[in-house]
Amino acid sequence: MVAKRLAGWRRWLPPVISAVLVTALIAALLRPGRSGIAGSPLLDKPAPASTLRSLDGVKVELASLQGRPVVVNFWASWCLPCRDEAPLLRSLSETQSDRGLAVLGISFQEPELQNARAFIREYALAYPSLIDPGARTAINYGVSGVPETFFIDRQGIVRSADRGGLTPARLSEGLSRIGIKWP
Amino acid sequence: MRCPTCTGLPITESGDALSIQMRREVRDQVKASQSERDIYGLMVARYGSATLLKPPKQGLNLVVWATPLLALGAGAVHFWRTFRFQQTRREPGTATDPYLAQVRQETGSRKSGDS
Repeated sequence: MVAKRLAGWRRWLPPVISAVLVTALIAALLRPGRSGIAGSPLLDKPAPASTLRSLDGVKVELASLQGRPVVVNFWASWCLPCRDEAPLLRSLSETQSDRGLAVLGISFQEPELQNARAFIREYALAYPSLIDPGARTAINYGVSGVPETFFIDRQGIVRSADRGGLTPARLSEGLSRIGIKWP
Repeated sequence: MRCPTCTGLPITESGDALSIQMRREVRDQVKASQSERDIYGLMVARYGSATLLKPPKQGLNLVVWATPLLALGAGAVHFWRTFRFQQTRREPGTATDPYLAQVRQETGSRKSGDS
């Protein structure tokens, strides 16, 4: 009797294992991609201190912006989603003030500096776009591709990260996490 | 340490610009007398544990580490049981097959009848 029940149980084992594997595969395939509000090990942690350089060669310390909410956007001229989100960031930067929101662009893996300058001219970017020597800042922020945008609150804590190109809704959500209402 | 922009390649084998920078960063950390554990910790704090080619032996990752061992153990048990079952079948006088028993019985009786 027990042997019979065991044999019945064994008969179901291969289809059950197959069903579990197929379900796991489907779940992995349907998992949301890297685009959108993203998890980052930096979330709710202090923004890494970094030293960058302006296109004119002036040193810029990220720590000097502490006390202001900051949007840090990693971009490259060769990246198409960066082109899509550039007008959005430009319009956001028009709301910047001395004590309020600061928008920063950081150029990522740009082989020719003149391409970065052309990009800034093309989209009339009025916010500072900085060079990241040795990709140190990109590595400190765990950037693996562009565009990637970090939202840092007044206390210097990373509150949100967005990958794959901002939309007005995603920008608004990121800003809301650092206490900024937009638009 | 895994190249963040490639699939399954370590930063030591990747020609990607970011991997090259990461290699430099690791070298700088080694020069600054940081321990291996601290360097891994730094990269995990930036890119998450997915940056490690060997997942850390904790939490859900234990399933990844334990599954091959469990499969090996299950295979060994299965092999041992199958082998033992066949041994039992080969042992004379313990046949459970009624036809085989009948054949043995008949051939046995014929042998005794011949003599």
